[in-house]
Amino acid sequence: MEYSAVEMISYTGSRVLEDEKIVFVGTGLPIIAAMHAQLTHAPNLYMIYEAGSLAPILEIGMPLSVGDTRAARKACYLKGLCAVFELTQRGFADYAFIGGAQIDMYGNVCSHLEGDVYEKPNIRFPGSGGAGAMAANCEKTIVIMALEKRRFVQQVDFVTSIGFGDGSPDYREKAGVMGSGPYRVITQHALFGFDEETRRMKLLEVAPGKTPAEVQDNVSFELLMDENVKEMAVPTEQDLKLLKEEIDPEGYFLKRVTR
Amino acid sequence: MSETSSKIKNISRIQYDPKPAEYWGPTPREARKKAVAKSKALVDKSMTLKEAVQKHIKDGINIGIGGFVNTRIPAAIIQEIIRQGARDLTLSFQSNSICCEWLAGAMIVDPDRVSIKRAELAWWGYEIIGIAPLLRYLNTSGKIQLDDYTNYGMSARFKAAAMGIPFLPVRDHGGTDMELTNRGKMVECPFSGENVYLVPACHPDVGLVNVTAADIYGNARIFGAQCTCQEIALASIHTIMTTEAIIPTESIRSYPNLTEIPYPAVDAVVEQPFASYPGACYGNYWFDMDHLRYYRGICDEFRKTGKRDGLKKYFEEYIFSCETSDDFLEKIGYKNLLKLRKMDGAQPVIL
Repeated sequence: MEYSAVEMISYTGSRVLEDEKIVFVGTGLPIIAAMHAQLTHAPNLYMIYEAGSLAPILEIGMPLSVGDTRAARKACYLKGLCAVFELTQRGFADYAFIGGAQIDMYGNVCSHLEGDVYEKPNIRFPGSGGAGAMAANCEKTIVIMALEKRRFVQQVDFVTSIGFGDGSPDYREKAGVMGSGPYRVITQHALFGFDEETRRMKLLEVAPGKTPAEVQDNVSFELLMDENVKEMAVPTEQDLKLLKEEIDPEGYFLKRVTR
Repeated sequence: MSETSSKIKNISRIQYDPKPAEYWGPTPREARKKAVAKSKALVDKSMTLKEAVQKHIKDGINIGIGGFVNTRIPAAIIQEIIRQGARDLTLSFQSNSICCEWLAGAMIVDPDRVSIKRAELAWWGYEIIGIAPLLRYLNTSGKIQLDDYTNYGMSARFKAAAMGIPFLPVRDHGGTDMELTNRGKMVECPFSGENVYLVPACHPDVGLVNVTAADIYGNARIFGAQCTCQEIALASIHTIMTTEAIIPTESIRSYPNLTEIPYPAVDAVVEQPFASYPGACYGNYWFDMDHLRYYRGICDEFRKTGKRDGLKKYFEEYIFSCETSDDFLEKIGYKNLLKLRKMDGAQPVIL
């Protein structure tokens, strides 16, 4: 079956989400992944959109952004940012589903800048948005990122979204955050989890045709390897049809070029 | 309560100038005094956008920008501010796109007319359409100062101000570089003994919001995502409100539960259909991706080449040569606006 990198990421994102949970989604592939999960194995999975919507029915089209008015369609509860982030602090959001520019071995994510100096970075990205709050207080954090050495780094330039910090067991507690932290990192070629003891990133699955060594070659830090690294499941024809024809028929996200 | 810190210093190598603990706008005490001094009469606050901006926007103030990214943004008010000019502004918002990029573009075209000194924010960009070229230009060239929070952090800051308290404890920012670079503080909670992060209240001098419907006194209904508009209006010393429609007070009084912003928080009510264009307004119109892309393209061109011609032409065409928002919307054209109205999908609102 022919599938693209973004289709693989979306499908894997869907696979990772369990039924009867609430996922706080970021723009783009997280929305697609959650919609796919709802249409397949997780009909009782619901979404939070940070402008203020809980459990919408996306019947007039996929929201192109988390602030899209379509994300408010037929919601169960529709307020503002405070309301949904407070639901999250309280413990009602099971997954944070975010992206970013860089990630380190403890799952800390940068989406602010590239450079050494906060006041005058080399490159400035939009900023935290909701990501910093989602990674802090949703129960589990799922991160989507392209598997590239410049993104899987020894040290991020700026910690935007908290992971396990320096890896010390009480890092998140000292940070005053409530969620349990990084859970999965999804790329086009590999699925990662985190080791319970060391809190370091661990390779769980590789895409067909790829080896763990090839994955390690695209990561700047040393990966832990699961005892039993599996092959990633690939989307079926039915999955691709759902993604391309029902979820994102205009190809807003699925036709974007990524490596 | 004693100040403490997370273990962020173990992992961070970012260089930064610590910011003094201060408010970038009115203090909670000043804000309280101004609220007490206001007339609480139910008086007709409807006026033109020109009058509202003339009355409330001054050089050096903090403006709180409502909406969220491209949703229910106070686009018409920002355009009028650019027409009239305002320098040395502090911008406060959670996430915004073209409102900030318009002000930034105006600053590049003519810094004697419009200038941004600094921004307290969570996110500045266009989401699907791309990063904000002018934020990148202004920040990497050191032309504006930033103070970064999360979307909840900025919302909680407006909420604290709306509640009349000097800060709110939140469960985020800690353990990230925002803990080092922003004005929040990590403290030990006096009750639980655990670390908790405090973000300072944010009182804008003038809050800018666009709402679905309001009466002439400023009692407002918001349908769709409410973003942080209620908190911004209540936090601000003055609020300029555009409304897609003015509705009778009798309707407000029949369903007072639907009022999201109460009249004492509002100083100017301007009836302006399509006041969030090219952003979206639930129940009224979807966002105009083509126009957002068009302007973003012009800004990106400037960022890459340093040539201002495209920006100058855009501002002349769409802002300076327009007397009012209606003139601007006429240039966009009825057919375009009608298309966006249809793309909203007739989301239900109660007027």
